[in-house]
Amino acid sequence: MMRAVLIDDEISNVENLRTLLEKHSPQVTIIATAQNVSDAVDAIEKHLPNLVFLDIQMGDKTGFDVLKLLPSRNFEVIFVTAYDQYGIQAVKFAALDYLLKPIDIEELMHAVNKAEHKLATQTQTSQLDFLLQQLKKSETNLSKIALQMQGEIRYVALSEIIRCEADNTYTHFFLSSGEKILVSKSLKEYADLLHPNGFLRTHQSHLVNPKYVKSWLREDGGILLLLSGEKIPISKPNKDNVKQALQQF
Amino acid sequence: MKKIIFTFLSFIITLSTVHAQKGINFYISYSAGGRLTMHVDSAANNVYYGNKFPNQPNTSFNYLPEVNHVSVQMYFQKTENPQNYRYTILADDEPIVVNKPINKEGLKDVIKKDDEWKDEVLDSITLGVFPIKGKTITILTYDIQRPQDVYKNVFYGKPIPRPKIEIIAKRFATEKGADYSRIIRPKERIDLSFTEKDDELTIIKDRSYIDYIYSTSIKDKKSDKIIFESTSWLYGGYLNEEGNKYLPYVKIDKSIFKKSGDYEIIIQPLIRWDISLDGILDYDISPQEIEKYTARYTLAITLDQESYTKKEAFTYTFIVTLFIGLIFLIILYFTKKRNKKKLAEQEQQKNTAKLQLNSIRSQLNPHFLFNALSGIQNLMNKNEIENANKYLSTFARLTRNVLDDKELISLSQEKNLLDDYLQMEQLRFGFQYEIHHSEDLDLANIPSMLLQPFVENAVKHGISQQATAGKIRIEFIKQANDLVLTVTDNGNGFDTEKKHQGLGLQLSNSRIALLNSIYKENRFILAIQSTTDGTKIGLTLTDWL
Repeated sequence: MMRAVLIDDEISNVENLRTLLEKHSPQVTIIATAQNVSDAVDAIEKHLPNLVFLDIQMGDKTGFDVLKLLPSRNFEVIFVTAYDQYGIQAVKFAALDYLLKPIDIEELMHAVNKAEHKLATQTQTSQLDFLLQQLKKSETNLSKIALQMQGEIRYVALSEIIRCEADNTYTHFFLSSGEKILVSKSLKEYADLLHPNGFLRTHQSHLVNPKYVKSWLREDGGILLLLSGEKIPISKPNKDNVKQALQQF
Repeated sequence: MKKIIFTFLSFIITLSTVHAQKGINFYISYSAGGRLTMHVDSAANNVYYGNKFPNQPNTSFNYLPEVNHVSVQMYFQKTENPQNYRYTILADDEPIVVNKPINKEGLKDVIKKDDEWKDEVLDSITLGVFPIKGKTITILTYDIQRPQDVYKNVFYGKPIPRPKIEIIAKRFATEKGADYSRIIRPKERIDLSFTEKDDELTIIKDRSYIDYIYSTSIKDKKSDKIIFESTSWLYGGYLNEEGNKYLPYVKIDKSIFKKSGDYEIIIQPLIRWDISLDGILDYDISPQEIEKYTARYTLAITLDQESYTKKEAFTYTFIVTLFIGLIFLIILYFTKKRNKKKLAEQEQQKNTAKLQLNSIRSQLNPHFLFNALSGIQNLMNKNEIENANKYLSTFARLTRNVLDDKELISLSQEKNLLDDYLQMEQLRFGFQYEIHHSEDLDLANIPSMLLQPFVENAVKHGISQQATAGKIRIEFIKQANDLVLTVTDNGNGFDTEKKHQGLGLQLSNSRIALLNSIYKENRFILAIQSTTDGTKIGLTLTDWL
């Protein structure tokens, strides 16, 4: 059973989320709602939920302010945002879940299920701490990423990542330590996420950290030779972009 | 070197007896001009016979530099009567024979050979054999029936004198008429400057008995072209030093000198040094030898006004015109290019400004958009289908109007737009609002979405916390020629001094700056009053109505 607090500065959004949860996620009980930061902090401290739906933009303040004001954060958070450039990158880097308004019912159910699963498997979550740390940095300066593994969260420095390779909807991370991590998110998500940090999508199935590129081989229409000795194919449509990016690197 | 000499005229006269007299070769007969022929020494190489001059039609000049004796004959056709002729012979200035009739007894038949086989028998008489070395023998002949037609044959055995310029005189205009400036016995290089007043140059040659054989020419040294030539001499006005003889002179108009520069005065005898009828006749004389008889002076002319030939003038004019034209074209090209660039820049600036304006205008806050949709989603989920429909339509109309690229919209359109916008915000936050306007709303057009950012600010910072207690009032007021737009809220207000006034207000400020740069004739004035009881934004469009 999940006990949830809904936080949004617009009453209609609170109402809407309540309606949807009641209808589609019966495992969630709404124990409180709040429409501003201080009410939200009070509600969480009073009701000790294990799930919080948190609006990011709340008037002049943000949902992150709510998190900052709490001494302990023993709950899962599903961020809800209408349109948010600010903070969303950090949320993604922290491998936290978020929903976009108007809310897609499928996504809502999926997020609730994931939260339920996490609550069942992980005793303690440090992702929120990580998020709040990340928020202090500028978006393109995010140097660490949270990788959601089976029953575990790994925080990996971007500089440690040599490359990523797609495996259906999963992604393999190849780290400089030689370790290989499997994450249950698609390569596309990471390609979008890490693009501002200079990672190169050389191929449908390959994302490469330019730091680890040794040379460009002119065989088979272009191959990247990595410092590790691995050869990564470059697909035709990506060729120009990769070349340009490597020249600037 | 002995050269074979053929007779100039077609006279090969056969003689009944050969005189081996004084070394004269009687086999070769030279035409001495007129009715006279002559025989000269066998040793004579160069016999410049029968020279004629344009200015002396009845004179023949025979230059015999190597001859000691000359034998002169006169001939008559059989149809003529030799008795009618008289002759006078002068040795230098001394008359030897005067007006002597032809001695009938002395006449001999000679055959004039003709190239076309029409040989003719003529009467011939020897007038005498004369020592010629260092002398001049002049023979004058005439027909008593035409005593005016005296023909003069000169046999010249002296060296031909080299001519000399005695004086060069420049004539210039004075108040009284004209005067001359002179250079006496000029050197080989003569510096002359012509001013506007100068008009004529006179070259005065030294006097000789045979002035008529000399011609004067002037050559432009630059183009190597003869620009002046005279074969005759004028007399009178200039006397020799003794004061008893006139000196020969030529007059040259200043106009022949078109440009400053070096010219050459050449005075030379008009003797056919190397004339050849058929290419075989030739003389054993070097150019240096001929040069001995020639006077050359360099005339360095300075003109204060250069004149040009028609062709030159045309060419120069053409070139100058072309050049000026070219420069003009280049200037025109660059000016045009610069103007074009400037215009393009201005256009671009304006475009940029408009684009910026557009980008600012179309920035209906995405946060608002998605929250508005979320509000509609809530209505749907609450089964308020009619309301959901209404707000969905309102939302669509608002989005459409915002997406519409119209720069200016009427006040009523702006009012509807704000109405739609406030309705959507009302759905989110549940405040009260009203829109007031004075008189006719269609009297003016204003930039679209002008007030929306201020309204958004009022919602966001003013009354969103107050829910139904919040109030927003919008007014369109006409004040004389100004249009005054106000947005008032009863929110908590904000510090107008503070820099971070939220995105909406920042956008508004930059938008007003942009509008002021586009609509230069009108001025947009923004006034903000904010207290804890509320905020009033006033936007005045001066001289708008």
